[in-house]
Amino acid sequence: MDFKERILTALNHEEPDRVPVAGFILSQGTSNQILGKPPADIAAMLGNAELRSGLKDIMNSTWPEIVNSTLADWFEAAIKLGFDANWTIYSQMQVVEEPKFKHGLAMHDVWGRAWELTVDENGNTDANFVRGLCTTEKEWYSWVEKNKPLYDELIKNVRDHHKKMAENYGDRILAIGSPGTGVFDNTWQPMGFENFCKFVYQKPEFIKKVIEFQTDLLLRHLNAIMESGVEVVVGGDDFGHKTGPLMRPEQIEKLFGDSYRRISEAVHSQKKKLLWHTDGNVYALLEKFVEWGFDGVVSLEPTAGMELEKVREQVGHKLVLVGNLDISYLLVRGTKEEVEDTVRKAIKDAAKGGGYILSPCNSHSAIDPTRLEWMIEAAHKYGKYPIAI
Amino acid sequence: MMISDTFEHLKSGLLELDMDAAVDAAKSIAGTGDTRAVKDAVDTVTDALQTVGKRFQDGDWFLAELVYVGEISREVMNILSPLMEAGAMESAGTIVVGTVTGDLHDLGKNIFINYAKSAGFNMIDLGIDVPARKFVDAVKEHHPLALGMSCLLTSTDMEIGKVVEELKRQDLRDRVKVIIGGAALTEQFAKDAGVDAFAPDAVTGTDIVKKWSSP
Repeated sequence: MDFKERILTALNHEEPDRVPVAGFILSQGTSNQILGKPPADIAAMLGNAELRSGLKDIMNSTWPEIVNSTLADWFEAAIKLGFDANWTIYSQMQVVEEPKFKHGLAMHDVWGRAWELTVDENGNTDANFVRGLCTTEKEWYSWVEKNKPLYDELIKNVRDHHKKMAENYGDRILAIGSPGTGVFDNTWQPMGFENFCKFVYQKPEFIKKVIEFQTDLLLRHLNAIMESGVEVVVGGDDFGHKTGPLMRPEQIEKLFGDSYRRISEAVHSQKKKLLWHTDGNVYALLEKFVEWGFDGVVSLEPTAGMELEKVREQVGHKLVLVGNLDISYLLVRGTKEEVEDTVRKAIKDAAKGGGYILSPCNSHSAIDPTRLEWMIEAAHKYGKYPIAI
Repeated sequence: MMISDTFEHLKSGLLELDMDAAVDAAKSIAGTGDTRAVKDAVDTVTDALQTVGKRFQDGDWFLAELVYVGEISREVMNILSPLMEAGAMESAGTIVVGTVTGDLHDLGKNIFINYAKSAGFNMIDLGIDVPARKFVDAVKEHHPLALGMSCLLTSTDMEIGKVVEELKRQDLRDRVKVIIGGAALTEQFAKDAGVDAFAPDAVTGTDIVKKWSSP
């Protein structure tokens, strides 16, 4: 079986030759290590006001090329490690001066979020969502108005990016196309969670309008991704925190249920598979994911209490399970024995009958490529079907 | 309307997430000018938030509700606080909190501040992106019962160890309890880093510091 057949068989809850192994969004730090590439000396440029301003201009004028080349590195690294699949993702950002941030630059995405450009101790860059830029109803409407031309640009660039990735890597690895964040995150993050909670109770009509807008935009985004020929797409909303969902499941259903049903229908109408990523403890939402039409759930964060055995017991084979490999300790500084034991247990708990894809539960720059190699080796060792653990 | 009805409206406004009802009740109590009534109203807010915390821990309430009731209580306290007599509220102790350097997130920290404040703690908020030196200086200055550090990013979790080391180096570690929370952290991490407790959420964190406050 090749990588594509392996993944698609597992997604159909059938047993492939072995448990498939997928990457996530690799950070630049991890991919540079895998490829043996030194990071560009961005830190020095950021430390000099003139160079920083020049860097900002270059980043803005060449943004699509930057994303394409970063993703190309991630894919080369994922292929080198031996992943069967990896995410493709395109996010539209505008780089701006932000004196309050350590390195003086922020990235504003088209949805209204500020991301801080960070540089780790080895010089690798990353971006972390920090705050929303539309904290009032007025600010949100004016943000959308101002950014109208950028939404069309986003869709065009998304189409080009995913097409390019499929053309360049389609014969070596399965691309899982991702729009990044989904309707829930795109609704609350630009206004901040505290404001969002307030508006849900005090301005429900406004929240409804935001959700409608974000759903329509996400559907355009997903359609542009699917035009590239990808077989699988993965949406993403962090519905959970350490001990449970961020919102009452009935309230999420009331506000967002129709959006997710529309998204599932749109993806399935094109005979594609729809996975959904969420961090956190989401036992209380698993049945909702089935109702909404998701084919699988990605992450299953073990440090938030997600256990594959319990999830499988709760939803059976109504959802494909993807992930569950810890990235806070195991894939950062775990021993080889710990990695092997965890992979073995994951396969034992979730892989029988297909429907499981082994994967780190998320991504950050401290993930160690050697631990990823151990993870893949263990998958090859214990993941051959029929599972005999 | 009897004042007891007004207290009931204040409580139900909080527990039914009705901002207008809670604020109207608070204004009505404040309008009496009776400092005893104001003190009782503050106790009503504290009791209601205890109930909310219990509901959250039992899985009956969710984070969004916890956040919104925090917003309502903040509005109510903005009305009541100026009318409280100095010294009317006995402090359960001081807690210094902040998000570690390199991390600019504050949601979890702010929810913790809200809850711990409602439990009677004096909260010193150092904000976000707080370097180890600033945490240590605040411990020296405020002599807190506890130091709370928030950390959402795995890439910055090592900062917690740096603060603990600096506290040890300056012979301060034995004088303050250290509690941590945030998406990047776990119980195991807390043990390895040599802190006293890990809080998976703000309500549990408040319960932990309450135990430290009244051993």
